[in-house]
Amino acid sequence: MSTRKSLRILLLCVLAAFALLEAAALFVAWPRAARDGGWTVEAGSRKRTPAEIERETAALRRRIRALSPKGVHIIIDSARNTLTLKKGQEALLTAMISCGSGTILEDPSGKRIWVFDTPRGEFQVKSKLVNPTWVKPDWAFIEEGKEIPEKQEERLEDGVLGDYALGFGDGYFIHGTLYTRLLGRSVTHGCIRVGDEDLKAVYRAASIGTRIYIY
Amino acid sequence: MNRAETVTESRRAGQRRLGRALICIIACGLFHGGLAQEKNLLIQNRLAKEELQLAGSPSLYFVIYLETGMIILKSRGLTLQEWKIEKHNSWGDAPPLESVTLQKKSTLFPPRRTRIKPPDNEEEAAAFELDALELKDMPARFTLYLGEGMRIYVRAKADGFFPRLGNIGHFFAWYVWAPMTNLSSELRQKPFAALQIVLSHKEDAQSLYWALPDGIKGLIYPL
Repeated sequence: MSTRKSLRILLLCVLAAFALLEAAALFVAWPRAARDGGWTVEAGSRKRTPAEIERETAALRRRIRALSPKGVHIIIDSARNTLTLKKGQEALLTAMISCGSGTILEDPSGKRIWVFDTPRGEFQVKSKLVNPTWVKPDWAFIEEGKEIPEKQEERLEDGVLGDYALGFGDGYFIHGTLYTRLLGRSVTHGCIRVGDEDLKAVYRAASIGTRIYIY
Repeated sequence: MNRAETVTESRRAGQRRLGRALICIIACGLFHGGLAQEKNLLIQNRLAKEELQLAGSPSLYFVIYLETGMIILKSRGLTLQEWKIEKHNSWGDAPPLESVTLQKKSTLFPPRRTRIKPPDNEEEAAAFELDALELKDMPARFTLYLGEGMRIYVRAKADGFFPRLGNIGHFFAWYVWAPMTNLSSELRQKPFAALQIVLSHKEDAQSLYWALPDGIKGLIYPL
């Protein structure tokens, strides 16, 4: 038998074996839910009547709904860079914003690293400031290639955060911007930049404790 | 008894047997339907308990409703974003009736974060270049690994030649790799459940990738 023919037979055998294996795999992988129900439910639950279970489920759903905000709250979509101010189900305002750029900055010493993401989850307005002053953190100096100052006064910068700022913890703020042309893009170091008029409306509507949802 | 009476009698007996068989089938159907309904109520109940726990924390969580074909991102029970599932199918075990945690996202070309290089001089500092991680950089085909052998293959519906070509890898992952992995898991007596979700638009898949960070918890309501 020639080598070529042997190779052909070997290849066919391998393909046939693979086809068989694939057929077996597809058979075994058939979804359990469709084949045998597969669900395991706690044994104790069977003692309750369907009506009781239904009532309990409805009560659980009411408790879940009760957790969501009824008053003014802020929803931030960091993917599309939009802010929606809502009161219950009603949207009061939708604004273009700028969220975290997702970039990374490393301290030249290699000891510290910053990831400029906007945090996600539920937060609350913790502070409300008028004409805020930016206290430049270390990363701002490192990013600009400057020495980190020792005196606190050298860190203060007026006019860059707009007319208002709403703090929501860990040094993150919803504030104004000088770079309005970049609204709608992810450019910040984690804070949320809003245009002047929209920021004014958000500042007026929100109070300490107003919930902020960021995703 | 003449021949005609014998035939009539045997016909009646046949009809009686048929009637009994039909009653048995209907009774079995009703019983099975009742059991299925009870099972569904228990599943809804158990998942509602799980969701109450998730909604009790300030973290985001997701809920996949296979029956209605929706994925919802929530916080405190509040719907933040919804995605419509165009098509879905599954292999292996049914999804667990408890909260699952996203352990990792896997994709062929994961988005890369840019490292900022501090400028060496004033000129460099003045030159601004926007290099951010944005929605358009997110992949539209990826796999979510949820632990306990549960994984979700996500892709956007392919329209056009190149997107279809791009789905070939996904096709092999779903029809060859996933069943083979399931077989291997079966042999090692390990759990395996795979779900394939097809979303209508590329941007939907990209925004889903964005919205689900590693560690996020979620629930899957079965069919």
